[in-house]
Amino acid sequence: MRSAAFRGEGNFAALLVAPSLIVLVVTTTFPLIYLFWSSFQNINLAMPFLDGFAGLDNYRRMMADGNFWHSIGLTAIYTISTVVLQVVIGLGLALLVMRIPAGQWLFRIVAILPIVLAPVVVGLFFRTLMFAPEFGILDFVVRWAGFGPVNWLGSPTPALVSVIIIHTWQWTPFAFLVLLASLAALPPDVYEAARIDRANALQRFWHITLPLIRPALVIVIIMRAMIALSAFAAIFAATGGGPGTATEILNLYAYRTSFVTLDFGYGSALAVALLVITLIVSGMLFYMRTARTT
Amino acid sequence: MSDGKGRVTLRGIDKHFGAFHALKGIDLDIAPQEFFALLGPSGSGKSTTLRVIAGLETPDAGTMTVDGVDVTYAEPGERNVAMVFQNYALYPHMTVEQNIGFPLRMDGVPKARIPELAREAASKVKIDHLMQRRPGQLSGGQQQRCALARAIVRKPRLFLLDEPLSNLDAQLRLETRVELKRLHRSLDVTTIYVTHDQEEAMTIADRMAVFLDGDIVQVGTPDDVFNRPDNLAVAAFIGSPPMNLLPARFEDGAAIIAGERLALPPRSAPVPAEVVLGIRPSHVRIADTGIPAKVVLSENLGESMLINAEVEGVPVKVRLSEMRPIAEGATIRLAFDGGHVHLFDPQTRRRIA
Repeated sequence: MRSAAFRGEGNFAALLVAPSLIVLVVTTTFPLIYLFWSSFQNINLAMPFLDGFAGLDNYRRMMADGNFWHSIGLTAIYTISTVVLQVVIGLGLALLVMRIPAGQWLFRIVAILPIVLAPVVVGLFFRTLMFAPEFGILDFVVRWAGFGPVNWLGSPTPALVSVIIIHTWQWTPFAFLVLLASLAALPPDVYEAARIDRANALQRFWHITLPLIRPALVIVIIMRAMIALSAFAAIFAATGGGPGTATEILNLYAYRTSFVTLDFGYGSALAVALLVITLIVSGMLFYMRTARTT
Repeated sequence: MSDGKGRVTLRGIDKHFGAFHALKGIDLDIAPQEFFALLGPSGSGKSTTLRVIAGLETPDAGTMTVDGVDVTYAEPGERNVAMVFQNYALYPHMTVEQNIGFPLRMDGVPKARIPELAREAASKVKIDHLMQRRPGQLSGGQQQRCALARAIVRKPRLFLLDEPLSNLDAQLRLETRVELKRLHRSLDVTTIYVTHDQEEAMTIADRMAVFLDGDIVQVGTPDDVFNRPDNLAVAAFIGSPPMNLLPARFEDGAAIIAGERLALPPRSAPVPAEVVLGIRPSHVRIADTGIPAKVVLSENLGESMLINAEVEGVPVKVRLSEMRPIAEGATIRLAFDGGHVHLFDPQTRRRIA
């Protein structure tokens, strides 16, 4: 009787969940499967006469593609440097603001502003107002400091530095806010105990603060790494991946291959590669998080 | 290492928190190896005094010396003190062993020696079987012992305890109280102990300071404070329940209350005509003749009866060992031995010797 009632209830529950489940499958799972399928096909709008099953050809081509490895390298540099900068600057700011006895709310509000801007807007205003030669604010400051005019977005290395600065500028406040909240929740008497136990400021930070905010720190790193790996809009608006391919991270390369070169088969394979890399990196970080806390 | 010292001197310590005057110029002398209690109700300044001694608060004015050296503005770490916090303040991410070993690690003790020294300290408070647990996996009593072990592991010059028993249940509190006293004897370190529980202070302290409203109102042995309260404030605070205070007239070596005359032993100091007479509830008895009183309530305390009565509208408590309740509204006669009476000057509020 009872199990039958349960089964009836289970069917009803499944019925209720079904609509949202179907929408989810149609909008997320199906496109993913289609992406995998197309990565094993030749789909090239420029050369439709070659279309057909390609097997592993796209992946073989990827392994031999210099542009692919170049974009992988850029993706690594971009992700590692932006995540490190966000965490270090965000934590530094949070530690400083924690020492302000009153008015912390002001910093919290100011910090939200960059986050709520659309990345494409951020990319555009950095391109036009900050980095533009002659009248960009950053360029003006650099010239004033005597480091000459720099062709920020027009030469390879400064362009890469620029897109890293843009991403860091927009997303450091996120790390700042999360870490500030985490710091504010730490028990004050533990710090008093540490002072009595003769731990100096650096030792208190290293032995008490860092281990205690570790969960928040790891979450910030995971979330920021996943976002940085799939960054697109700000770079696209600021440099479009250029000059040349100097800022073309894997995501932009996949986009260019699919929608500029119109080689959808190879573009899909590149997107699959990005997906696999993102999964591996975040999986590793999640593992590191659980491995040490339990 | 303990070098048989640890004399603490406070002079004119003053502390404000915003508009709140927490300490009003405290003077205090604590002798080496003494078990000294700071007793007072909450907000009286006892914890602030301990935090000033620890170096966690800087006084607005005044000086503090330890063994003659001025440490008023020294960092907590420079004072060679150890402290047990009310909430224990254990490092939540460290094991018991790491918690106890932390002060040693900060002192630069060789890493290989730390587990052994930590275990030694842990065994003194009987938690050496829990070395690999984290604070979250310990009971309140075990956390408290862990905090104690962390405090004694370095053999400090001063041992500071901030209401260490207040978070334990009643049974554990009694046991730990005895152990603290034993621990103090074996360590021979000056120990300063904050409590709002006068029974705790009376039973374990060598001497104590009674705090009221940011001032020290009396310093002395538990016997001094209990049997010779310096002033009305201490008399009204110490004892459970505290002593009865009755206005009286003084004439020819006798006190007159409610028309009844009570002969008193001679005093060395002159006694004014108006006095306040103090008598502990346990020193009052019910007699056939004496001061008339009206019974308000009889309370059964298990081992004794507490009779709440009124003498001319002033509440009086009487503790009786015989367990026989007295009906509300009954009129009884109270008598007591003149030798047990304390006299206070209502003007100066001080004891008349």
